[in-house]
Amino acid sequence: MSADLKHLLHELEHHLEHVLPAQAPIKDFVHHNTLHGFQHLPFRAALAAAEAAIGAHGFLPAVTSRAYFQQGRITREDLDAALDETPELRVNELLTGGLSRRAVLCAGLLHDFSPPAATWAWQVESAGVLRHPAADLSATARAALLRGRAESDVIPALWAACQGLLDTPPVAEAFDADAELAALLRCVGHRLTLRGVLLRLTGRDVLDELRPYLIRHLANFLDQGLAALHAPTPAQGFYAAWLASAQDDPHFALHDMDEWESTRERLPDNPVAAIAQSLQLLGLDEADWPAYLETLAKELPGWSGMVLWRHGHPGYAGLTAPVGLADYLAVRLVLEQVYAQHFAGRHFKTEASLSGLRGYFHRHPSELQVRLALYGTQQGALPESLADQAHRLVREATGRNGEEVDADWRPVARLIEAALAQPATNASWRLFRLAQHLGLDADAVQTLGATGAAALLECLAELTPERQGWVWLQAYERHYREQVFAALAANHGRGAWVERGGTSQTTPQAQLVFCMDDREEGLRRHLEERHPRIETLGAAAHFSVFIRYTGLGEVPTDLCPVVARPAHTIVESAAPETEARAQGYLQAQGLRRRWKTRLLEGSRRTPWGAALASGLGALVTLPGLALKSLAPAAAGQVTAGLRQRLEGTPSTRLTFTALEATPATPDAPRAGFTDMEQADRVFGFLRNIGLTSGFAPLVVIVGHGSNSLNNPHMSAYDCGACSGRHSGANARLFAAMANRPEVRALLRERSLDIPAATWFMGCEHNTCDDRVTWYDTEQLPSTHVQPLRDLQVALVEAGQLHAQERSRRFMSASLDMTPKQAFRHVLGRRHDFSQARPELGHATNASAFIGRRAATRGAFFDRRMFLISYDSAIDPEGTVLEPLLLANGPVGAGISLEYYFSTVNNERYGCGTKVMHNVAGLFGVMDGAASDLRTGLPRQMIEIHEAMRLLVIVEHRLDVLTAIYQRQPPLQELIGNGWIQLAAKDPDSEAIHRFVPGAGWVAWQAPESELPRVRASTDWVRGQREPLPPALIEMEPVA
Amino acid sequence: MTEMTAFLSWSWIALIPGLPLLAALAVTVLHLFGPARGEAGEALTARLSVGAVSVSLLLMLAFGAQALGWGLPGQIALGTWFASGAWALPVSFTLDGLGLGFAAVTAFISWVTLRFSVNYMHREAGFHRFFIGMNLFVGGMLLLTLAGNAAAVFVAWELMGLSSWMLIGYAFERPTATLNAQRAFLTNRLGDAGLVLALALSLIWLGGLDWPTLAAGAARLPTLYVSLLALGFVAAALVKSAQVPFTPWITRALEGPTPSSAIFYGAVMVHAGVFLLLRLEPVLLHAPGILTLVGLLGALTVLYGWLGGYAQTDVKSALLFATLTQVGLMFVTLSLGFFELAAWHAALHALWRAWQFLAAPAFMHLMERPAAPAPAWLRRCPRLFTATLQRFWLEPLTDRLFARPTLALARDMRHIDDNVVSRLVGMPEAQRTAALLEADAPVVQGHGLAGRALLGLAGRLNRFEQRLVLQGGGGKLGAGLSRVGEMLRFVESLLEQPRYLLVLVMATLVVIL
Repeated sequence: MSADLKHLLHELEHHLEHVLPAQAPIKDFVHHNTLHGFQHLPFRAALAAAEAAIGAHGFLPAVTSRAYFQQGRITREDLDAALDETPELRVNELLTGGLSRRAVLCAGLLHDFSPPAATWAWQVESAGVLRHPAADLSATARAALLRGRAESDVIPALWAACQGLLDTPPVAEAFDADAELAALLRCVGHRLTLRGVLLRLTGRDVLDELRPYLIRHLANFLDQGLAALHAPTPAQGFYAAWLASAQDDPHFALHDMDEWESTRERLPDNPVAAIAQSLQLLGLDEADWPAYLETLAKELPGWSGMVLWRHGHPGYAGLTAPVGLADYLAVRLVLEQVYAQHFAGRHFKTEASLSGLRGYFHRHPSELQVRLALYGTQQGALPESLADQAHRLVREATGRNGEEVDADWRPVARLIEAALAQPATNASWRLFRLAQHLGLDADAVQTLGATGAAALLECLAELTPERQGWVWLQAYERHYREQVFAALAANHGRGAWVERGGTSQTTPQAQLVFCMDDREEGLRRHLEERHPRIETLGAAAHFSVFIRYTGLGEVPTDLCPVVARPAHTIVESAAPETEARAQGYLQAQGLRRRWKTRLLEGSRRTPWGAALASGLGALVTLPGLALKSLAPAAAGQVTAGLRQRLEGTPSTRLTFTALEATPATPDAPRAGFTDMEQADRVFGFLRNIGLTSGFAPLVVIVGHGSNSLNNPHMSAYDCGACSGRHSGANARLFAAMANRPEVRALLRERSLDIPAATWFMGCEHNTCDDRVTWYDTEQLPSTHVQPLRDLQVALVEAGQLHAQERSRRFMSASLDMTPKQAFRHVLGRRHDFSQARPELGHATNASAFIGRRAATRGAFFDRRMFLISYDSAIDPEGTVLEPLLLANGPVGAGISLEYYFSTVNNERYGCGTKVMHNVAGLFGVMDGAASDLRTGLPRQMIEIHEAMRLLVIVEHRLDVLTAIYQRQPPLQELIGNGWIQLAAKDPDSEAIHRFVPGAGWVAWQAPESELPRVRASTDWVRGQREPLPPALIEMEPVA
Repeated sequence: MTEMTAFLSWSWIALIPGLPLLAALAVTVLHLFGPARGEAGEALTARLSVGAVSVSLLLMLAFGAQALGWGLPGQIALGTWFASGAWALPVSFTLDGLGLGFAAVTAFISWVTLRFSVNYMHREAGFHRFFIGMNLFVGGMLLLTLAGNAAAVFVAWELMGLSSWMLIGYAFERPTATLNAQRAFLTNRLGDAGLVLALALSLIWLGGLDWPTLAAGAARLPTLYVSLLALGFVAAALVKSAQVPFTPWITRALEGPTPSSAIFYGAVMVHAGVFLLLRLEPVLLHAPGILTLVGLLGALTVLYGWLGGYAQTDVKSALLFATLTQVGLMFVTLSLGFFELAAWHAALHALWRAWQFLAAPAFMHLMERPAAPAPAWLRRCPRLFTATLQRFWLEPLTDRLFARPTLALARDMRHIDDNVVSRLVGMPEAQRTAALLEADAPVVQGHGLAGRALLGLAGRLNRFEQRLVLQGGGGKLGAGLSRVGEMLRFVESLLEQPRYLLVLVMATLVVIL
C-alpha cells in the first residue's frame, strides 16, 4: 500500500511540476514561461489544458480586444486574415440561405450576443431594444437593414419573426436530488476537494479558517531568514515538525475542534501513511487519490509551488531542512480533515466523509436544492428576496442542535425551482441581434426558416470563448507583425556597415556591444542618430563569460544564465597601488553594514535594545524621510556622496587569469580562465555577433542592471542573461580579456586579427536612470583618452534623449519634459522609495531580430525589439546561428510569455497589485498577512504591455533555417508549437517569409502604403503616450 | 499675554486638524460629483490632500517656533460647542509641550506618508477612497494631539476608528480583508465604550471635560472615583494601542496598502493610546491601582511582542510585533511614573518605524544577512516555539472571554426579536413573506398622501437605479454590482451577530458601577 502510494506521490511530483507555478524565491526571480509545464503542447492546446487544470483563461478578454479594434490597433483586415488562418471555422463556406459564415463570425467577434438576463425587462421596456436597431449597429448594416424604411416598420416585425421561428414556452426542470448529489460527489478528486464540496453547500470556506494556521507553520518551515525562531526539529521534515508542535497545541481545543483529540491519537509518524489514512477516512476511491492530491495542491498554488521548488533544489541558500511534497500534502490533508469535520458537525451534524454527506443529503433533498441554488455553480442567480429566505434557513440550521427537518426547506425549494425556470428567449434574442448585424429583415428571416435560423445560431455558437481569444490574438499579432515586416523591408539597404571591413574611412568611430534587451533599442537608436559614426551591436549580456563573481567586500554570486552553473570564479580586488585605501574602504563598509544591521535587526529584537536602536534610528530617519519626500534624486545623490566620502572609492582590478589548467567544474570551480579559455570565449563571442573585422579604435562592452528602492521584484528588472543580476562585471571581464596581448596573439592564430590600436572597455548601463558606469578607465592608453571622453559625452546625451523617450510611457510624467529634465526625472524614480514603477521593465517587448544591425539601423522600433547581432555572411551554413537560437530563443520566449500570461489574466497568472504585497520568508509576496503566495508579474509591470507572442525574425536563408529547425527538438517545441512566431528575412533582398506551424514558410506580401519618414526619433514620439508603429529615420549616410 | 506679541494668533491652531478634515470632505464631494475620479482625477485628490497636510505641517512648525520664542499658551478656548445648564463643552485646545510635540511628529509623518502614497497608489482603483481615509485619519490624529478636552478626543477616536476600518478593508473583494476590518472595528468599539463611560463620569462628577478640569478634579475626588474615571480612558488607550489582551485586532489589520499599514500600525495610531495616557498624567497619578494595571498589561504586551516577534515570517507582521513590544514598553515606563521618558520614546519610535514600515517591501534587500537565531534558551523549548508561533493563543482566548458570551446573548436577543417583538409590532413572518411572493400580489401599496409620495419616490429611485445600473447592459457593471451585493450580504451577516457586543459591554460596565 504505502509503497504504491510512494510511487504515486513520486509521479504526482513530476506532474505537479507542470501545473504549479515554478517561480524561484523572489530574490532569484528570472522570467520564464508561466505555462512552461505545458510547453510540450501547441500553444492553443496548452492554454486549453491549463484552463482545464487550473481554471484560468489564457486569452485577453473579448471586451479588451474589441476596444483595440475600436482604437484601430486591430483592423478588419487583420481580423479577416486571422479568420482565414483558423481553418476549423470554415470562414469561406456558405450557410444554408446563402449567407457567408465569415459575416456571422465577424459579427460574433465584434459584438456581444450574451442575453441580457438580469436586465431583460428594462432593456425591453425602457431601452426599447425590441423597437430600435441595436446600439452597436454599424452604419452600413443599419442601411442594409432599414433600406429607407422606418425603424418602427422593420424592427418589431423582425423580433416577431425571430420569436415565431424559435420560441418555446419556459420549462421548469424538476430537481433530481440524488442525481445532483451524485454529480457533486463525483467531482471530488477531479475538480473539488472536501473543502470545495463544503463551499458549494455552505458558502463558507474551510480554507479561510485553516489558512492562517497552515501558513504560520509552513512559512516558518520554509523561511530563509526573516524569522529568528524556527521549528526545533526541521531535519525530520515538515510533517514531523508540524506534528511535534501540534501534539500539545491547545489551538484546536480553543477552537472547539474536539475532533482533534481523536485525530491526534491515530496519526501515524510517517507522512505517506497519514495521506493514506486521511483519504481512506474521506472514503475516496483509491483510483481518485492522485487527482484529489493534485486538486488539493492547486488550491494554494503559490505555496504548493514553493514547496515543490524547494523540494527540487535541496540545499538552496544554505538551508538544510528537507522540503518534501508528501510532508506538505499530509499536513494539508490532516488539517482539512480536522477543520472539515468540525465544520460538517456544525452544519450537518454528520461526519465529513463522502458517505456521511451522501447519507445526510439523501435524507434532505430539499435542503440540498436550496443550498446548491444558493452556493453552487449557479450562485447569484436567485432573486434577492428568495436568496434572503434561503440564507435565513441556512443560518437557523447552523445554530440548531438537532437534525434538520427537510420539510421545512421544501417551500423555499419549490420557489427556487420556479424562479430558475428561464424563459427561452435567449435563442430568439441572439437571432434578432445577429439578423440586424447581417442586414436581414423580417422577410429575410422568414425565408431562412427554422432550419436556416438554427444554422445561423449554430455557426455563432461555434465561436467559443477559446476560439474568440485565439482569433483576436492572431489578428492582434498580425497587425504588429505587418508593421514590423514593412519597416524591415523598407529599411533594407539603408543601414550602415552592411559589410564589414573596407577602408579606414568607413571604420566606425566606436563600437558598442549592448545587451540584446528590448530596453536597449532606444538608447542605441539615439546614440546612432546623433553620432552616425558610432556602431552598436547586441548580444546576451553574459558576454559568453559564465562566472561566480565576488565583488570587493561582497558575497559571491553567479553571473550566467539560470540554466547554467559557472565553473570559474572571478574576484575583484584592490589595485596594488591602492591597497591601503581599499583596507580603509572595507573597514568603513563593514562598519556601516554592522550599524545598518544593528538598527534594522536590533530594532525588532530585545525590547531594550530595540528601544535604543529605534531612538538612534529616528535621528537618521527624520532628515532622511524629509529629504526623500522632497527631492528623491537629491536624496539619492547625497547618500551616495556621503557614502563615498566615508568609505572612499578604491580602484580595483579583476583577477581572472588562471596560471594552470586545472579542471574547472561547477562543483569545484577554478579561479580564473587560462589564456586559451579566454581566447575561446573572446573568439566565440565576437564571431557570434559578427564582429571579426573592421574593428573601431574603441570597442565598448555594455552590461546592464537596474536599481530601484522598495521593490520586491527587483531582479525582474535586471539582466536576464545573468539570472536577474547586474551584468557589468561580465562586460568588464570580457573587455579585460580582449585587451590582453596573450589573448590577442592566440586569436590571431585563429585569423581573428584585432588591431593593436583597438582598445576594449567595459561599462554598465543602468536601465532605470540611463546612467553609465565605466570600468578600468585608468588603464586606457593615452591615445584613447580623448575618443573615450567624446564617447562618454555622446552616451550622456543619448541617455538624456532616451530618458525623454521612455518617460512618455510613464502616465505620471509630463510629456513636455526636455531631455535634461527627463534625465533628472528618471534619476528621481530610481531613488524614490515611493515609486511602484521605478521603470517599466520589459513591458514593451514584442519582437526580436537576429541579424546585422544594418537591417534595423535607421528605423524606429519603439523599444519593443530584442536586437541580437549576427552576421550570416560569415556563417553561411548556420553553425553559429544554431547555438545562438538555442540559447536566446528560450530566454526571449520566457520574458515574452511571462508578460503575456501576467497581462491576459493578472489575477491568476500574475500577482495583482504591488500596494498590498507583503514579503514572506524572503521568498515571495503575499496579499496581507495570510494569503497564498502570489507569483508572476505585478500589475504595475504589465499595465502597458501588449499581450502577444514574441515575433522572432532571423536574417538568413530559408534552407539554413529549415535545416536547423529540423535538427533541433527544443526549437521545434518553441516554434512548431507556436510559443513564439518565427520569420526569416533574406540577407540580400527585401523578401520576408513567415513560418506557419503545420504549413511551413509563407512569403510575405508587402503592402502598398509607404512607411512614415521622420527626421529623428524625437519628432516621431513627441506628445505620444501610446505604443507607436515603426517609422524610418532620415540618417546621414556614413561616408 | 503671549498672544499680544506672537506673530500668529494661536486660535489658528484649529486649522491644523481642520485642514486635513476639510480635504477629506472636499475629496469626498469632488469624488461623488465629478472631477476627482479615476486616473485623471488623481492629481486633484493628491493636490488637495498633500496640500492640506503640508499647510498643517508648516503651521505646526510656525507655531513651534512661536512657542520657542514667546512661550506656550497652555489651555485656550475658541468658543463653546454647546452649553446646557451647568454643563458646557468648549472648543478648546491644550497647547503645551506634549501636545505640540506630538502634533509636530504626527504632521511630519502624515506629510511623508501622504506624499509617498501619491506615487505608490497611482492607478489604483481605490485611489480616492484611500486618500479620503488617510485625510480623515490625519485630521483625527492631529485633533487628538491638540485637543483641549475629552469630548474632542472622542471625536478623534471615532475618526481614527472609521478610517482604519476603511483602509484595512481597502481590498474589499477579499473576504479576509473585510473580515479583519470588521474585527478591528468591533474591538475598537470596546475602547470607545470605555471612553464614553469616562466622558459620562467626568461630566457627572466634575461638570466638565477640559483637561485642567479633569486634573483639578482628580486631586479632589476620592481614589475610587478617580480610578473608575481613569479606567474608562485606560480601556480606550489599551485597545487603540493594541495592548494585551486586545492585541489580536492589530495583528489582523495588515491587509491594507503599505502606506496605510505604516501610518496606522507602525508609526502613528498605535501610539495614540500612549498619548492619551500621557495627557492624563495628573489623573493617573491619583489612580495608582489603574497605573499598576497599565504597567502589568504593558509588560505582558512587551513579552507578547518580543517573543512572538521571533517567529514572525512576514515583514509586516515582524515589524508589527516589534512595534507592539515598544509600545508596551512605553506603557510600562509611564506606569512607573516616567511620563517624560515615555513621551520621548513614543516620538522617536514613531519616526523610526514610519521609515521602516514604508520601506517594508525592500526589507529583504536591506537585510545584509538572514536574521541571527533567537536566544538559545528560547530555541531549546519546543513548547515556547509553538506558543510564539500561535501568538500565545491570545485570539481564541479573548474570543472565549468576550465574543462567546456576546454571541450567546445575541442568539437570545434574536429569539426574542423573532418571537416576541416581531409579533408585537406585527411584522410578517418568514413563511408569510413566501406566501406573499407566491401569490402575484403587488409588492408595494401606498395609502394616503404619505404613502403615495413614498411610492412615487420609490418609483423614481427605481428608475434611477435602472438607468444607472441596467443601462450598462448588465455586463461588467452588473457582475460587479452583484459581487458587491454578495460582499455586502457577507458583511451584513457578520454585523448581524456582534451588534449586541456594545450592549453587553455597556451592561458589564453598568454592573461594575
